[in-house]
Amino acid sequence: MSSDHQAGDVPPLTEDIAPGTATDPPVESDDAATVTVDGTAVDLPAGSTLLDAVEAVENGTGTDADGEGNGTAETVPALCQYGREDIGPRSTCRTCMVETDSEGLVPACSHPAEDGAVVRTDAAAAVEARDVNLDLVLSNHNLRCTTCGKNGRCDLQDAAIENDVEEPRYGVLDDRDAYEPIDDTSSFIQIDRNKCILCNRCVEACNDVQVEGVLRMEGSGSDTRIGFQNGAATMEDSTCVSCGHCATVCPTGSLVEKGIEDATTIQIPGFTQKNSVGKSYERDGSPKGPMTPKKAAERTERDASGEAERGRESAKESASDERRDWP
Amino acid sequence: MDDSSLPDRQKVLRVPADRADLAEAAGEGDGTTDGDVTVARVGSTGVAALDPLVSATSGGGTAFYANADPDLVSEVAADLAEGSVGVVGEPLGVAGHVLGPATLPSVPATPLDLGNRRVLRGAGWHRPTEPEDHAAAGGFVDASLEDVVAAADGLRGRGWGDWCHDADLAPALDRARDAFGEAAVVVNAHGGTANADHTDADAFLLESVPFAVLEGADLLATAVDADRVVVYASEADETAVERARAAAENYPDPVTPFEVVTGPAVHRATEPTMALEAIEGNHRLEARLRRPGELPVLNGAPALVHTARTVAHLFERMRAGASGNDPTDHGDTRFVTVTGDVETPATVELPEREALETALEAVSPTDGCKAAAVGGRFGGLTDSLDVSVGSDALAEAGLGTDGVVEILGEDRCLVEFAGRRAQLAADTNCGRCVPCREGATQLTELLRDIYDGDYDEDGIAELLRVMDDSSVCAFGVEAARPARTAIDAFDGEFEAHAEGRCPAGACFEPPEVPQ
Repeated sequence: MSSDHQAGDVPPLTEDIAPGTATDPPVESDDAATVTVDGTAVDLPAGSTLLDAVEAVENGTGTDADGEGNGTAETVPALCQYGREDIGPRSTCRTCMVETDSEGLVPACSHPAEDGAVVRTDAAAAVEARDVNLDLVLSNHNLRCTTCGKNGRCDLQDAAIENDVEEPRYGVLDDRDAYEPIDDTSSFIQIDRNKCILCNRCVEACNDVQVEGVLRMEGSGSDTRIGFQNGAATMEDSTCVSCGHCATVCPTGSLVEKGIEDATTIQIPGFTQKNSVGKSYERDGSPKGPMTPKKAAERTERDASGEAERGRESAKESASDERRDWP
Repeated sequence: MDDSSLPDRQKVLRVPADRADLAEAAGEGDGTTDGDVTVARVGSTGVAALDPLVSATSGGGTAFYANADPDLVSEVAADLAEGSVGVVGEPLGVAGHVLGPATLPSVPATPLDLGNRRVLRGAGWHRPTEPEDHAAAGGFVDASLEDVVAAADGLRGRGWGDWCHDADLAPALDRARDAFGEAAVVVNAHGGTANADHTDADAFLLESVPFAVLEGADLLATAVDADRVVVYASEADETAVERARAAAENYPDPVTPFEVVTGPAVHRATEPTMALEAIEGNHRLEARLRRPGELPVLNGAPALVHTARTVAHLFERMRAGASGNDPTDHGDTRFVTVTGDVETPATVELPEREALETALEAVSPTDGCKAAAVGGRFGGLTDSLDVSVGSDALAEAGLGTDGVVEILGEDRCLVEFAGRRAQLAADTNCGRCVPCREGATQLTELLRDIYDGDYDEDGIAELLRVMDDSSVCAFGVEAARPARTAIDAFDGEFEAHAEGRCPAGACFEPPEVPQ
C-alpha cells in the first residue's frame, strides 16, 4: 500500500510524493494461523491474508477430511491483487469476496488470516459479489481484445475466461465517444486508459518501489483515472524516467511497452491497436529537455492542478442532483 | 466581554449571533443599554421557521418573538428597559419563570416545546463562544476517567461520520485506552456539502452549542489521556468553524488544546476514514481499508472518531449524572432534521422512543407528504413516519439512521428521486472500489432503462445487494438504499414507468397529438 513508510527511513525525495491514495492499515495477520477453506485446513505463517489461505488451498496444499487437499469449491479471481514487491492489496475490484463464519462477506485479499477462521468460497452471496464485481470491472473496460497488445497475457481476460463470462451483465465500454485518447507521447510506454481497471499497481510501483513520484490516482467517481503528479496531460510532459515498472505490473493492456503494443493483436487488415480507439495523443516532436526535470520545480504546477480538481469536484456535488436531465 | 453569565443579569435581550442589525436595533453598545439591558448574541434554536428569533428576559419571564425585524427589536428593547416583557408586538409565547434560567425555557405550544431539549438546552439561549453560559448550565463537569467510561457505556455513535455508527462506543474506547497517552480524539462535525438552515445537526451543534461538543471531546480525551484533539468540519460551514475556533480558544483547561481543521465541502469527506485523510492533508480523498477490530489511525496514532452529535450526547450524559441523575437511566435523545419540500427546515431533539412524525410539527410541508427519505442524502424511502427515531427501529424499517428526514411532496416521482440519487452517488463517490464506483453508474443505467420499458427488478436487486455487501466504505452501502427502499415501498410506481406512465405526472412529456 502507499505511504506507509516509517518516518526514519524515508529517502529525502519521498516527502514530495503525492500518489493521491489513502494510507491503509496493514492487512496481514500478526500470528501464524490455521484457516479452513471449503473444508480444507491450511497452516499459514504470520503476515498472511485470507487470500493466501484460498490460494494455498487452490494449489492443493492443506488437508481436508480425507487427508488430502482437494482445492477450493469456486475460483476466486482477486483481479486487482498483485502480491509481490509490497504492491497492494488495493482491494478495489472486490472479486475476492468470500464468506467467513465470524464476519460474513469479506475481501480475502485484505483480510488478516486469523487462527480458526472458516472460509467458504462457494457461499451464494460471495459468488454473487465476485461475479457482479467482475462484470462491473468489464463494464468500464474497452474489450477490444483482438487489437490489444496484452491479448493472451491479460489478467482480466484470464479472470473472465476462468469465470465463464460469456456476456457481461452490464456490457463493456464500447461507446467510442466516451473513449479517452491513447497517450502515445512517450518513446517507451504507452497508456490506454480505456483499458485501465484502476488497480493502482502502477502507482505503487512508481511511488513505493521505484520512488519516482510520477504517477498518481486522480479525480473521483467516474472521472477517477491514473494521472501525473506534476499535473501534466501527457506522459511526455510528465517526470517519467521510463523505468517500465508500471507496464510490468499492469494487469491489462493499459500500460504497455512501446514496440510491442500490438504484438499480440490478431492480424486483420485495416484493424490496428490505435484505430480501435480512434484517437491518440502523439509526440509533439519538440526536442526534449533533461530526462528528469527537477521535481521541486514541478510542485507549484501540481498544487495548482490539485486546487483546480477541488473546484471541479465541488461543482459536481452541487450540479449533480439538480441540473442533469432525468431520465 | 463581561465575564459573568447571562442568568446573573437582570434584563437580557437575546438576538441571533449572525444578525448584527438586530443587535444594533437592540441598542448593543458596551454590553448594556439604558435600564441595564444586556444584549446577548446567541445561536439558533435549530427551528429556522422562527428565525430570526429574539427573546426578552426579565425577572418575571421571557417573551419570544419569531421573525423579528429591527423595528420590533427596538420596541422590545425599550419595553424591557422599563422592566416589562411580552407587552409589545405579538410574542410567539411567554415563558414564566423566576430568576434568569440557565437554559432555554419551555414555551408551550411552539416548536421550541417539541421533544426534549437536553443537548440543545443552550441553543438559542447561550452565547456560543462564552464559556460562562455553558458553565452556568452545568457545563465543565468534574469527571474522572472512570466516570467517562461509565457514561460512554451503551451510548451509540450518531451518524455515518461516526466510526461507531449505531454501535456502542465502549469497545472503541477500550481500544483507545490501550494506547493511553498516545491516542487522538477526532470530532467529526463535517456536514457534507453545506449546513444551510442548520440542516446538518453536527455543524449546527458547533454553531449553537460548541461547548457541549468540545466538552464531550474533552471528556473522551480525559478517558484516554489523548495526545491530540481535532475538531473537523466542512470548509463551507464558515460559521461553525469560526465559532468552534473561538470556543476552543476560550475553553478553560482542556486536556490538550483543540485543533480545528477543515475538509473540502463534498459529501464523502464526512466518511470517517476520508475525514482522517483530509485531516492528514491528503489532496485527494478516498476511503481507507479497515482492519477488523482495530481503530483507525491519525498520523500513526490510534484515533477515536465520533461525530459532534455523539460527543455532545456523551457530555449530556455526564452532565445529567453530575447533577444527580443516573446518566444512563432516562434514555437518550436523537436529533432529527426535517428538510425537503417544507417551507423552512428544522432540527429538533426527540427522545429515542418518539416517532419520526413528531418532528413534522416543527415544519410546514409545502405540498403534502407523499413520502419521505429517512437517513440523509442516501436515506430510505417510506410512506410512513410512524417509526421511532432510535437506530434499531429505523434499521428494522430499512431506513437510514443519519437523522435527516427529507419530505417529498405529492407531485414528486419516486423513480426520478431514486434515479437522481443513484446518479449523485455515481458522480460523487471517491472512485476507489468497483461496487460503488461502477455499481452506482450501472444502477443509474438500470433505473434509466425502466423508462424504456425494461424494468429488470431482479438485476437491480442483485446489484444493490453487491453494493451493500462489498463496498469498501459506508458510501457504497448507503448509496444502495434509496433505490432499494423505493422499490420495496413503491413498486407500483416503477411498474407504471415501465408501462410509460408516471403516476406523479413528473416524468413523461405528454404525447404529441397527431395533426
